[in-house]
Amino acid sequence: MSETILKLQNVTMKFGGVVALNDVSFEIKKQEILGLIGPNGAGKTTVFNVITGVYQVTEGDITFEGKSVKGKKRYKITRGGIARTFQNIRLWGDMTALENVITATDTHKKSGLLSGLFGMPVSRREERRDKARAQELLDFIGIGEYADRLAKNLPYGVQRRLEIARALGTEPKLLLLDEPAAGFNPAEKVELAQTIRKIRDAGYTVLLIEHDMSLVMGVSDRVVVVDFGQKIADDLPTKVQNDKRVIEAYLGVPEDAS
Amino acid sequence: MLNNFLDQFATLTVGGLSLGFIYVLIALGYTMVYGVLRMINFANSEVFMYGTFATIIVIRDLFGFTQQSEPATGFRLFYILFLCLVASMLMSGILSILLELVAYRRLRNRGSNKLAPLISAIGMSIVLAEFMRILTDSRYVGSPRVMEKKSLGTFFGAELRLDNTIIIVAGLLLFISLSQFVQRTRLGKAIRAVSMNEDAAKLMGVNLNFVVSGTFLVGGLMTGAAGFFYVLKYENTSFNIGFELGIAAFTAAILGGIGNIKGAFYGGIVLGLLETYASFFLGTQWKAVTVFIVLVVVLYFRPNGVFGEAITQTRA
Amino acid sequence: MFNLRDWGAGIWERSGRPVRVLIALGAIAIAASLPLLGGTFLKTPIADYGSVLVFPVAIFVIMALGLNIVIGKSGLLDLGYVAFFAIGAYTMGILGTKTGLNSWEILPIGIAMAMFAGLILGVPALRLRGDYLAIITLGFGEIVRITALNLNSIGGANGIVGIPTPPTIFGLEYTFDNHRLYFWTFLIIILLTIWMIRRLSVRRAGRAWESIRQDEDAAELMGVPTFKYKIWAFVLGASVGGAAGVLYASKTLFISPDNFTLQVSILILACVVFGGMGNIWGVILGAVILGYLPDRIRFISDARLLVFGAVLVLMMNLRPDGLLPRKKREKALPEKGQS
Ligand SMILES: Nc1ncnc2c1ncn2[C@@H]1O[C@H](COP(=O)(O)OP(=O)(O)O)[C@@H](O)[C@H]1O
Ligand SMILES: [Mg+2]
Repeated sequence: MSETILKLQNVTMKFGGVVALNDVSFEIKKQEILGLIGPNGAGKTTVFNVITGVYQVTEGDITFEGKSVKGKKRYKITRGGIARTFQNIRLWGDMTALENVITATDTHKKSGLLSGLFGMPVSRREERRDKARAQELLDFIGIGEYADRLAKNLPYGVQRRLEIARALGTEPKLLLLDEPAAGFNPAEKVELAQTIRKIRDAGYTVLLIEHDMSLVMGVSDRVVVVDFGQKIADDLPTKVQNDKRVIEAYLGVPEDAS
Repeated sequence: MLNNFLDQFATLTVGGLSLGFIYVLIALGYTMVYGVLRMINFANSEVFMYGTFATIIVIRDLFGFTQQSEPATGFRLFYILFLCLVASMLMSGILSILLELVAYRRLRNRGSNKLAPLISAIGMSIVLAEFMRILTDSRYVGSPRVMEKKSLGTFFGAELRLDNTIIIVAGLLLFISLSQFVQRTRLGKAIRAVSMNEDAAKLMGVNLNFVVSGTFLVGGLMTGAAGFFYVLKYENTSFNIGFELGIAAFTAAILGGIGNIKGAFYGGIVLGLLETYASFFLGTQWKAVTVFIVLVVVLYFRPNGVFGEAITQTRA
Repeated sequence: MFNLRDWGAGIWERSGRPVRVLIALGAIAIAASLPLLGGTFLKTPIADYGSVLVFPVAIFVIMALGLNIVIGKSGLLDLGYVAFFAIGAYTMGILGTKTGLNSWEILPIGIAMAMFAGLILGVPALRLRGDYLAIITLGFGEIVRITALNLNSIGGANGIVGIPTPPTIFGLEYTFDNHRLYFWTFLIIILLTIWMIRRLSVRRAGRAWESIRQDEDAAELMGVPTFKYKIWAFVLGASVGGAAGVLYASKTLFISPDNFTLQVSILILACVVFGGMGNIWGVILGAVILGYLPDRIRFISDARLLVFGAVLVLMMNLRPDGLLPRKKREKALPEKGQS
């Protein structure tokens, strides 16, 4: 495998008395699909939140391509190449699917507000280019035909996939997926697994939070397990499945369907 | 000027404290509603203003005081003041409950966007103030004097005027009762539970609509008491006093950390003192500006309040 | 349910370019002919019809368009919008009486002053959550008024008198009662504002504002520099308010702090909410109706603010999207394959 793209070093995240992450370290290599699993409330979403700058870590450091993300503004982290989806879908409901993605592609526009106002050619060219790119991404994820529907009116499964397309719109190097298959039926899960592989093959690196074991184990190159804010395993899927501590963690807490 | 200030410092402090308690009680109206609904109850300023009118109605229309009447004394005075306090509290408490039913409930239950309840609240505030303006012909309404504002003597050089003393003592008692209420009673505990975590409280079987109405009632009662104190101290009112006092009390709530009952107490007292001292130097016309600058500075540097505990960060 | 906005948008989208130009010209012609209709049922019994069209109607339309950028487009509740109006008007008043500059030269200065004030207020205020912003802006509006009231060098409570009218152009003379000429001038400013907003709305800025309005955290995490765009919305809104202020002072020729109370902010907010937050046509309709009715119907004139407050409550509870809601419609699905 190639070089490291993201590295968490001894990350601790406290909320008042609650220790959501306790001395967690792991890294992701370029073009890898890394699964992040753990029982509900283990701290998985918190990992995404500290990577994307929603929270500042209490201790430790996070480096992306060798540079610390500490103290960086959230939108700058995204522009630097990390994009995410949300466990509880957070699309812009009153925009169409296409507009949702175009808004994310705006991240890379050079033309600002004034050149838009005066209808400068750069701005017009970029509009056309990004619209095409957004449609391309919708097609890539397999929801191209919904481009002109308002996001809030889309079927649930399409909304989940639109979250992925929108994140890809920011042209990330690293894509963070927070339970993208939540609420999916088995057929949809299989389809999603293919999509995730396709995304990786297109050159992206993926960090995947997922509850469905067969999905994670099937698609991930490597799996990190957290429990009560602590990393308890970091290995190949086959190894993790037989790890004693992992089995204990999962036996203690019945698997949640949501 | 400075010598003058030092001479009067103690007396100014007493006046500032009594103003402070008026702020504390109005701030409680803002803070309690904010704690439960995470919403600024803009119309609380008008709830206060109606409270001031209730006191004047009792003095003028129930007891028939006029500008020429002799002030009352002794037990009769106590009795009249007590009735005024009750009337103001009831007026504001009931208005506050109605306000929530008319202006907020529908919006809350529909889970509309964030701006809607705010705009509805502003609309309600305007309707209430304008209604009073039309009733009173846009005029100031003076209160006949029910009580001789005599001095009770001095205390560390501070002149203890009767009205200020009543406000400070009664205000403190009301605040203590409220704290006890929130700590001890079922409704109080439910209010605290919802403030901390609405979803969890609901899961535990708290009836949210009931708690919200209860919060508006209690907040309104406190705000109404402030209305009574205001008339006692300044002996007049008008349809537009809600605005200035409302902003000041809201600032007090922010200063202490909004959503936090103790914060309203500290914030109100500090602001009352600060405003009184500042007015001494700058003149009263810049009072509103002073308050506003305090608000901006606090929000900018200490958005969780100077005295408040940190409110947990937002979730993504 | 019948939706006027969608009906109108439908016609517009189905038409080709020539038809669109015709519709636009027709609408402008109707607007421009309004001052000629004083003898009809539009007559206003309370104030002179011609002057009502200029103020409040045209000024309200301009201000509502400006406030709509802030509240309708980006979802920022600004309760002190009157401050920018006041700053524009006072710039006109001071420079108009103390220097030789004329209204057209002062207009850009007034706009710049308002924008600058927007920046000064916006930088601290826009870092805060939405409901705090409302309070801060409310306070700011009052501060500007109280300052004007207490600064004797700019007239104090007496305000500024003897503000000059705009200079004659093309032989058209701006006399105090030449309401038509004022109206047509203001109409041009309105058209320019509409052009600006439409231009911005369809491009990147419009999308950024829209995403901020709907979910600011999600926007920030999708790479939208939300703070920057909020400042832009605030400053652009301020610029329009400033322009309205300069024009207002050039028309009334007399200003005082009483013209810039909190009530003005509330009236304009009511126009935006009543017409339909976020939709320029709705906002214009709201401003025209709420600007005009108090001068047409005496009851509303007496209880103007009461009615407007009630409008806010009722609209929010019953029809939160206003008379003409923002875009909700979507294109029909293509016939072919659907999963
Ligand atoms: N903003 C916050 N404030 C307080 N506690 C939080 C916050 N965010 C997360 N937590 C706590 O951190 C723990 C981990 O949460 P989370 O990362 O969402 O778990 P999950 O693994 O299910 O995604 C939980 O106990 C949660 O309550
Ligand atoms: Mg999670």
